[in-house]
Amino acid sequence: MRIKLTSIMVDDQTKALKFYTEVLGFKKKHEIPMGEFRWLTVTSPEGPDDLELSLEPNANPAGKAFQEAMFAQGIPLAAFEVAEIQKEFARLKGSGVVFKGEPMKMGPVWIAICSDTCGNLIQLYQSV
Amino acid sequence: MDHSEFARLCRARRRMAELGEEARPLGEIAREAGISRFHFIRQFDALFGMTPHQLRMRERLEKAKLLLAAGEQSVTEVCMEVGMSSMGSFSDWFQREVGAAPSEYKRRARAMIVVPGMLPEPLFPGCLSLMGRLPANAFRNFEEAPRSRPF
Repeated sequence: MRIKLTSIMVDDQTKALKFYTEVLGFKKKHEIPMGEFRWLTVTSPEGPDDLELSLEPNANPAGKAFQEAMFAQGIPLAAFEVAEIQKEFARLKGSGVVFKGEPMKMGPVWIAICSDTCGNLIQLYQSV
Repeated sequence: MDHSEFARLCRARRRMAELGEEARPLGEIAREAGISRFHFIRQFDALFGMTPHQLRMRERLEKAKLLLAAGEQSVTEVCMEVGMSSMGSFSDWFQREVGAAPSEYKRRARAMIVVPGMLPEPLFPGCLSLMGRLPANAFRNFEEAPRSRPF
């Protein structure tokens, strides 16, 4: 058993694909039409190439309610490791990404939390 | 964005999502949040990826789909319940967004209900359960997956 696929719910897959590729810099791996939705996954260009993040639709009212409540409480639903957090912070901020405050040191990591514009807060972190 | 503004915008999103009698105009919700109308729309869009108006229309569409699928109300009643006053513009807009007229959507969704009291299957999200609907050879060759669009 291995971890090969994880997912994050998004309110609009087209918007999500744009944000996760053009803004964050991930690469599209799969995009398969599934009725109203798509089987849509991205990978990181920094690898590994077969570890996929599925951008899944949050059309289910239960999923929406969960996502909205977590967002309002400031809780991120995904975390991505970065090599240089200050550089990423400046780069993303320059692309119009909204951050909750500046990067801050919390124990063994530096973290910065931003909105993915698809209904989630995501956390960027750099190990100290 | 500081915590206070973040919290006020989250609250404003809930307020914008309200439909029917609780619904308030954008200007009023921006005032409640203590943010100028222009800055409100801009910050809302940057945080949630859609303008306040887009959010409201999206909420209307989702509620309309659920009500139509539940099948207990007429198209006119659904139109009113989601806070739209003109049947003509409701139908045109629904057709444009969903690809089927409200009456057609209602008919098709009804036909798909399997278990009483449950939502019809097409209204459930993809989630990882989409995986189960992928074609048998999907994990060998994703590109050969058939195209389909029931709605």
